[in-house]
Amino acid sequence: MLWQRLRRTLGLDTLDDEYRFADDPRVGHIAASRVAEKWVKTTCGYCSVGCGMLVGLREGKAVTVRGNPDHPVNRGKLCPKGLSEHHILDAPGRATQPLLRKHGKLEPVSWDEALQAMLGAFQRIQQKYGAEALGVISTGQLVTEEFYTLGKLVQLGLRTRNFDGNTTLCMASAVSGYKLSFGSDGPPGSYSDMETADVILLIGANIADNHPILCQRLERNRMRNANCTVIAVDPRVTKTAMLADVHLPVKPRSDIALLNGIAHILIRDGLIDHDYIQQHTRHFDEFAAYVAGFTPQHVAQVTGLSEEQITRTAHLYGKAKAAFIGWTMGVNHSTQGAVTVTAINNLALITGNLGRAGAAPFSITGQCNAMGTREAGFTSALPGYRKFDDAEHRRQLAALWQIDEARIPTARGLAYPDIIEGAVTGSIKALWFIATNPVVSFPNYYVLEHALRNVEFLVVQDGFHPTPTSDFAHLVLPAAIWGEKEGTYTNSERRISKANVLVPPPGEARTDFDIFLAIAEKLGLREELFPGWTSTHDAYAEWQRVSAGRMCDYSGISWRQIEEEGGVQWGGERLYADGHFATADGRATLHCVPCLPFQEQPDHEYELVLNTGRTVEHWHTRTKTAAVPMLNNMVPTAWLEMNPVDAQRLQLRPHDRINVISRRSSVRNLELRITEIVAPGQVFMPFHFAETNSNRVTLGAFDPISREPNFKQCAVRVEKYVRTLH
Amino acid sequence: MSLPLEERARVATMHDIVRLTEQEQDYPAANAGLLSPLPLLPSRPLREGEQYRFHFNMTKCIGCRSCEIACNEQNGNPASIQWRRVGEIEGGTYPDTHRHYLSMGCNHCLDAECLKGCPVAAYTKDPVTGIVLHSAQACIGCQYCVWNCPYSVPQFNAERGVVGKCDMCHGRLTDGLEPACVNACPEAAIEIEIVNKTAWRIDYAAAESPGMPAAGHTISTTRITLPTAASARLERVDTGHIRPEHAHLSLVYMTTMIQAATGALLAALVAHRTSPLLCLLLFVVAAIGLNISVLHLGRPAYAWRALKMWRRSWLSREVLCFGLFFVALSLFTTANCWAGLNSQAKHVLSLPALALPAATLQPIGWLAAVLGIAGTLASAFIYLVPARPSWNMVHTPLDFLLSAALLGTALLPCLDWLARHVAALRMPATQPAPALPVWPTVVAAALVLTNQFVRLMRLRWSAQFEHRATVSLLGTHALRPALLASLMSATAAGVFALCGAFGFAVVMAFASVLLSRYLFFVSVVPLNMALTFTGGGKH
Repeated sequence: MLWQRLRRTLGLDTLDDEYRFADDPRVGHIAASRVAEKWVKTTCGYCSVGCGMLVGLREGKAVTVRGNPDHPVNRGKLCPKGLSEHHILDAPGRATQPLLRKHGKLEPVSWDEALQAMLGAFQRIQQKYGAEALGVISTGQLVTEEFYTLGKLVQLGLRTRNFDGNTTLCMASAVSGYKLSFGSDGPPGSYSDMETADVILLIGANIADNHPILCQRLERNRMRNANCTVIAVDPRVTKTAMLADVHLPVKPRSDIALLNGIAHILIRDGLIDHDYIQQHTRHFDEFAAYVAGFTPQHVAQVTGLSEEQITRTAHLYGKAKAAFIGWTMGVNHSTQGAVTVTAINNLALITGNLGRAGAAPFSITGQCNAMGTREAGFTSALPGYRKFDDAEHRRQLAALWQIDEARIPTARGLAYPDIIEGAVTGSIKALWFIATNPVVSFPNYYVLEHALRNVEFLVVQDGFHPTPTSDFAHLVLPAAIWGEKEGTYTNSERRISKANVLVPPPGEARTDFDIFLAIAEKLGLREELFPGWTSTHDAYAEWQRVSAGRMCDYSGISWRQIEEEGGVQWGGERLYADGHFATADGRATLHCVPCLPFQEQPDHEYELVLNTGRTVEHWHTRTKTAAVPMLNNMVPTAWLEMNPVDAQRLQLRPHDRINVISRRSSVRNLELRITEIVAPGQVFMPFHFAETNSNRVTLGAFDPISREPNFKQCAVRVEKYVRTLH
Repeated sequence: MSLPLEERARVATMHDIVRLTEQEQDYPAANAGLLSPLPLLPSRPLREGEQYRFHFNMTKCIGCRSCEIACNEQNGNPASIQWRRVGEIEGGTYPDTHRHYLSMGCNHCLDAECLKGCPVAAYTKDPVTGIVLHSAQACIGCQYCVWNCPYSVPQFNAERGVVGKCDMCHGRLTDGLEPACVNACPEAAIEIEIVNKTAWRIDYAAAESPGMPAAGHTISTTRITLPTAASARLERVDTGHIRPEHAHLSLVYMTTMIQAATGALLAALVAHRTSPLLCLLLFVVAAIGLNISVLHLGRPAYAWRALKMWRRSWLSREVLCFGLFFVALSLFTTANCWAGLNSQAKHVLSLPALALPAATLQPIGWLAAVLGIAGTLASAFIYLVPARPSWNMVHTPLDFLLSAALLGTALLPCLDWLARHVAALRMPATQPAPALPVWPTVVAAALVLTNQFVRLMRLRWSAQFEHRATVSLLGTHALRPALLASLMSATAAGVFALCGAFGFAVVMAFASVLLSRYLFFVSVVPLNMALTFTGGGKH
């Protein structure tokens, strides 16, 4: 040891062996530390693009990742998070044993004791306060098989309807919007539409940062079609705005006015598809009358765009042979999120831009398997896009599960924000969080903290510990993460892909599936709910039967087929090709959507509008990406973007340390980036950082339909940070 | 390496992971989904006078940074080292804002400065491909290349003790595969192409870009396609993130000690104060300085290799001069001591007259002094690199020479005093020597201060960003006290010398030179490509 150190100090040893290169039979010349013995196909576990990857294993460790060149989604390419994904499997900070709080301290316990304590507490609380005093918050991070299992366990086993997912912080507005317009959830288009559309309208979607692998579709489209126009609608000059042909710098939350204004011009100038409207939609006359008020002049005033910009956009969209509208959080993270989605759908419907190649309204989802939980979950709907209030749907499920129909709830329970509110007001007494980190991701932190401190028993099931949320837990259950379990993810374009096991979970950590089965076992319900199940494949087989005949029909898609074809899209390449929608009369609904100002307008005290968002280097609350040194080194801290006009007014200089203050609380000691990326009067900060948590200042306002939080606009002021002694 | 890469790609048995280079007609099914039907590698062999280069298409880059991760994974580098880096530049006024990205590895320059400065010839420009290759085996970790490169491309890996850099994935190219960054880019924004070296030397305008140092100095070969619409002036976003550079403490001590020894030797020769004991003390000072210097190297055991490129590298020349200086000083000291011993021993027993005659003794001393000065100048020339603008000024050699004068003239009276007192212990009868003059120290201190002051003023009012950034760094809370202390101790050294208090003067002189040398190293702002807002100022 000493000799080695001396040799290193003298430079006789330069770690040549560690830094050696070798020839990998598959990838050629590469650092020897990355040479694999075996390759496993899997799907990326970060975002919902759903890239196929090949992970190289050597001596039981994942040593390298390559994009799968045969995968239709990414064609061999990966973003920086995907390219370094193998590093999270031996990252520090993993939860490796169950921890139970005893005398105020989390102490290691056996799985048996942990689950006994969990169910003991749940039973005590449910007996005392009623079954629905238990709230369960799941995630978009599990495999579909696990969601399906968890849904049955919570609703039928733990008998609480107060079950929701962090997907409500993400895509709930898209779900609600699709249901309002088309009668069912289900993104109608495919990524390939981005390659064939003549016009691609991206609204509140910064795909270059958040879904970078989709950008190659736009590039391909340009190479194929010189007239292809990409239009980015965003108040901020995002990376996506830079790659677009046209950037529409709208004022915050004026997107509805823009959409209605486009509809107005389309109708006025006869750029609509009368046949489609007549055959496949309803309420057109009301709609046309309503948008008549959205004159270019009015819309220009609301959006801050010129009339010429609005008219040109409308004409581009209306004259396109195929037009595509993609959106993400800029639309969803709003108190008007669900209806904004319907306003987008309106445009597609009146122009017949639906169900054809290149023509679709399309939500670009967030988490790797948010789609899976929408389809197989048992939160805002019954599995298989079934409805709680539909007796026939409940009967179908009761028959499939061979249970009494009365056990299936007839209405959904509380949504995520209402569960948190319940915990504050005292109707929720126990909480179980699965693979999510609300302390960083939920708006208005102090209300959440109140909820976490208020409940009598808090279970946090996560792959990592400590996390800001697990610090509050009474019980921490260590779970397997991506790469340690098998199942399927469904991506934004409804493509079911397979995630496979690369390494075993660390320590005593178990897959979420095993944890759910063990809980069912302890409840004495394992045989009834999960008869003969030993692996996620058993769950998949049942889910196939449950989804059979539904829009999201998995029944004909086997795991083997998924593996072989690099994923299979349920519903084919696009939905509604026949113009028949999932409504009683088969027609889609046109909605009249008012454009309301966002709730917390700036005033003389809080004079700036705070916008939040992501960076390409990090994933959500950084639980994973902060543990990958390469990614964390790239962007180790948050910052606040401010226009030079505001900076001058506030006498702030580049790189000043500042505090962001809202009516609720403040984010302290942030670095200031003075930049023309943001408009005067607006500021932006990334939300990934627990240390400077944007949700200390964000607003606890929620969409009345989807219950999605309004993360995107709140009023703040910015002050110089002054170092204090404590 | 002269085979057409594309042809090799097609005959290679590589798995299709890397088949980006294959042509559509051969693999229709596989290529149906590929972004670029064009190969990202040249499709013909290199001809005479040509080399490979990177082409970076700024209009395609979306700033996703996949290339950086792919590079680190390919080369097995830790997170702290990035051979490929992405930077951000921005300009315009909202909403007509322009943001663009730079993704750069090594520019494989026609006149690579890293290569010219290397004292051990660890760098070679591959005669076939033109790739600037670096050998970790030959490298001794002196980091001179890090200072020389205007793009801050070579990076020192402290864990290994050697430098490393982008080699255009030479090993992959040999296999007919595109480099890892080219392979990873989802937008096909990076590719390898062929450049005619003569034509490029005449017109390298396509290498210039906002956010990049001027290409002319080393003739970067990377071609950059700039957005045509960008009428706005695009500027770096990382300029507020300038961090202090490495202090290189061993070099701070080494240069100070050697300059002190050189200065004192010269002063001693002029003042005819070359008693054996004094020579011995000087020898000790020089020996400590030289021994500390090897600690700067990542691989001290191979310090001797640094002599190799004395024809080309100032670092080699410095090592050579100081090596010879040390030999001459040793000889001078030994001979002096021998002569001293001899003269004393004569009284007791008669030793053979082995000592060198006094006539040859003095020239050896002068030779040592000249070598010391030459070494000090060679030392200073190491820092005269365009890539480090605040070093690359006449003030650097001036400071080194003046520091030698200040330290030497302050040190000599002290060493002389010490030598006399030790000698007096044995032979109390010797008569006191006349006091050494104080004016040289006072003048040296004044000149040192003037030089520092003029340098600071020139930096402060310079048109070059890196110059002004050095002054900004010196003005930070962390460095300003050191700057003030350095200037004040130089003043104090002069004042103490004026009072004849050489004991205090020498302490102040050393404090001043050590501090200013420390600041010299930490406050330099190297030329670099633009980096990102949060990643600015570091590699």
